[in-house]
Amino acid sequence: MAFLELDVLNNAPKPVIGIDLGTTNSLAALWVDGRPTVVRPDGMGAIVPSAFYFEKDGQVLVGHEARRRAMMDPGRALFSVKRFMGRGLKDVADDLESVPFEAREGEGGVVRFLVDGKELAPEQLSSFILRRVVEQASLVLGVRPDRAVITVPAYFDDTQRQATRDAARLAGLEVLRILNEPTAASLAYGLDRRKQGKVAVYDLGGGTFDVSILDIEDGVFRVLSTSGDTHLGGDDLDRALVQVALAELAPRLGDSASEPALLQALRLSAERCKIELSRAPQAEMHLVAPELNLDWRRTFQRSELESAIAPLLERTLDACQRALADASLAVADIDEVVLVGGSTRVPAVRELVERFFGRTAHAELDPDEVVALGAAVQAHILAGGTREFLLLDVTPLSLGLETMGGAVAKVIHRNSPVPSQATEGFTTYADNQTGLVLNIVQGERELAADCRSLGRFELKGIPPMPAGMARIAVRFQLDADGILNVTAKEETSGVAASITVQPMHALGDEEVERMLADSYANAQADFDNRRIADLKVEMGTMLRATKAHLDGVRADLDRESLLDLEEACAAAQATIATERPTAAETQKVRDTLERATLPLAALLMDRVAKEALSGKRVSDL
Amino acid sequence: MDPCSNCHSRLETPLVCHSCHHLVPLDREPNPYAAFGLPLAFGVDKEQLRKKQLQLTRLMHPDFFGGENAALRKLAERNTAELNRAYELLKDDAARAEWLVRELGGPTQEAVRDMPPEFLMEVMEWSETLEQARGHDARSPNRMRLAPLRAELTERRRVLLAKIASNLDPLPPIGDPRLVQLRRDLNAVRYLDRALTELAELLLFCTPR
Repeated sequence: MAFLELDVLNNAPKPVIGIDLGTTNSLAALWVDGRPTVVRPDGMGAIVPSAFYFEKDGQVLVGHEARRRAMMDPGRALFSVKRFMGRGLKDVADDLESVPFEAREGEGGVVRFLVDGKELAPEQLSSFILRRVVEQASLVLGVRPDRAVITVPAYFDDTQRQATRDAARLAGLEVLRILNEPTAASLAYGLDRRKQGKVAVYDLGGGTFDVSILDIEDGVFRVLSTSGDTHLGGDDLDRALVQVALAELAPRLGDSASEPALLQALRLSAERCKIELSRAPQAEMHLVAPELNLDWRRTFQRSELESAIAPLLERTLDACQRALADASLAVADIDEVVLVGGSTRVPAVRELVERFFGRTAHAELDPDEVVALGAAVQAHILAGGTREFLLLDVTPLSLGLETMGGAVAKVIHRNSPVPSQATEGFTTYADNQTGLVLNIVQGERELAADCRSLGRFELKGIPPMPAGMARIAVRFQLDADGILNVTAKEETSGVAASITVQPMHALGDEEVERMLADSYANAQADFDNRRIADLKVEMGTMLRATKAHLDGVRADLDRESLLDLEEACAAAQATIATERPTAAETQKVRDTLERATLPLAALLMDRVAKEALSGKRVSDL
Repeated sequence: MDPCSNCHSRLETPLVCHSCHHLVPLDREPNPYAAFGLPLAFGVDKEQLRKKQLQLTRLMHPDFFGGENAALRKLAERNTAELNRAYELLKDDAARAEWLVRELGGPTQEAVRDMPPEFLMEVMEWSETLEQARGHDARSPNRMRLAPLRAELTERRRVLLAKIASNLDPLPPIGDPRLVQLRRDLNAVRYLDRALTELAELLLFCTPR
């Protein structure tokens, strides 16, 4: 591949990409030419819908094609996997109603979907999305990025953050930082405007709601407080509309009203109707179910949607109140309000926010892209690209230990800056007690049972001594990703028990390894997809190189070679834009392109050799 | 404090060297005052503290060590965590007083249980008011009593903290008998804080909870 080598002379480190792994949509952005830019391969959109469609032959479709197929066949599709990340079955009962696959709790309490006899964890499914996003970035970059900043809702707890990290690992990505979505958005906004002051970020996405209050000063973005709800987003707005529809449809549906596939179809239809209602005063909801002999149409007024979602939107204001109180600020202290997330396109949402804060909200940057843009800025900072900006974030939820009697001793309070550390002292309550079980909890409630348990561990080997004599120091270390590490030590004897917190609802390390091995060894489909992706990347590189060099030597190239090359380029372009070309087809197009570039490569080589590199072999280049 | 092991300059904080930006490995949690290079005293200039925190953060935040080796990244993470911890403690009057009383060898929170009976009676009265307000909406007379209660408790907390501040300025010597009364006052602040947190929660939302 002489031609390629010519173009890859520099040994620049691979770029770090920023990824918004969303409930509904995912996308990547990169730092290019002094600003963050959304990754948009030629002829393709930037967004990868976070959707899955399972073919009967075991092939898993991801993205646009999965969405398209889901419209026709909702019984084999899956959406909003992010809502299941780091959650147990009973946390997600509502969401499971419209999941057409059996779900069970597997090892580590992680939800598994049973698809044609194969178990799939949300982490695995999310890794498929990440792989697709990385593939798209590879097309643009010409190399496969292997390091990323991935965003999560600010209100995600420890377990949900760990699940996101596991998903990245399964996708072959090293995560440089788990970044909070509203913080990322503020960075994307703050970059252009160089504003100082207090900013409120209202982020209503596909499945989650966050509000963060920041203080921006001299390039330092300091989060003062954050609040939210990891179970409130566009999906819930859709569901409100589904409820209205179901109330009217119930008599005609009978028992089918609880059929997951039908509910999923209804949800998709409600989503389209909701989106349409953001543009028009009325829209139609349409449901076709041939097996039920059903072809149902219903016109919704915008006001109907608004009254159906009013209670949900009211809840977002409660979170805004809390964030303000935690920042010790009043509404009047806020200088700017920023809208983030696709659901802020709903006019009622915008009006509500503007009424609450008493000012016009910013929405100049595309609410679907702004988080990825911010992630790219943070990726640039972490890659050592700038010291001009700095994010100082906080932990959304308090962290503590269960004490005797089931109360919670808070060790790190909510809205403490991260990274953070704290040490709390404990002692034994019985004579000659040699062990102590510690239950680590996250949440604001006073009783441990009402908080989320992140895990239990036992400190063993305490030397026998009278009750109350042992001095046990429990150390909490919260890293910049918001992920907790706990260690304990008995200080009078120096017995240090190193412990690992195994979170509830999380894949174990071993399991992640097994899944990784599985995904490499298992499917021919996986292998093919990877091969296709690599070929697409190669073609992208060849196309760029051709574009860069062709004009300079066009006059020297014979007409036939030129025509061949142009034709091959067009074919390659078309193949790259195709979502699922076969591996054989792609290989053929790539080979043709390579052959067609040979005359151009020869010309260039000739020129280069003459100019500077006489005596050197091609492989030295 | 030993000088910087890298450039031998005098260290202003045990966390990082101002001259050569060398991150100093810690063998134990640093004293929060030392972390900020401040003398041991109750009074702290909040604005100066905030500026200092930013300045130190710019020298050692893990984001600026993204390309470095794992050990250095970890050190940046650890030292920034210590700085953040110290900042949270120093910026809060009650937390600072709490730390000083412990540092001066005063009694622990559990050791002083003899709160004045009339104070405990009052605590019970607040709890009752809070209890009665729960589950009612904003217009009920039970809820109407919350805002005046909050104003009253906030004022009492302010007065109590002013008293604590004057008893800590100048700092009493180690083991001073006055530390017992300081502890008692700090315990009263805790009672007030618990009630105020709950009040804030109840007053924050329009919907009954």
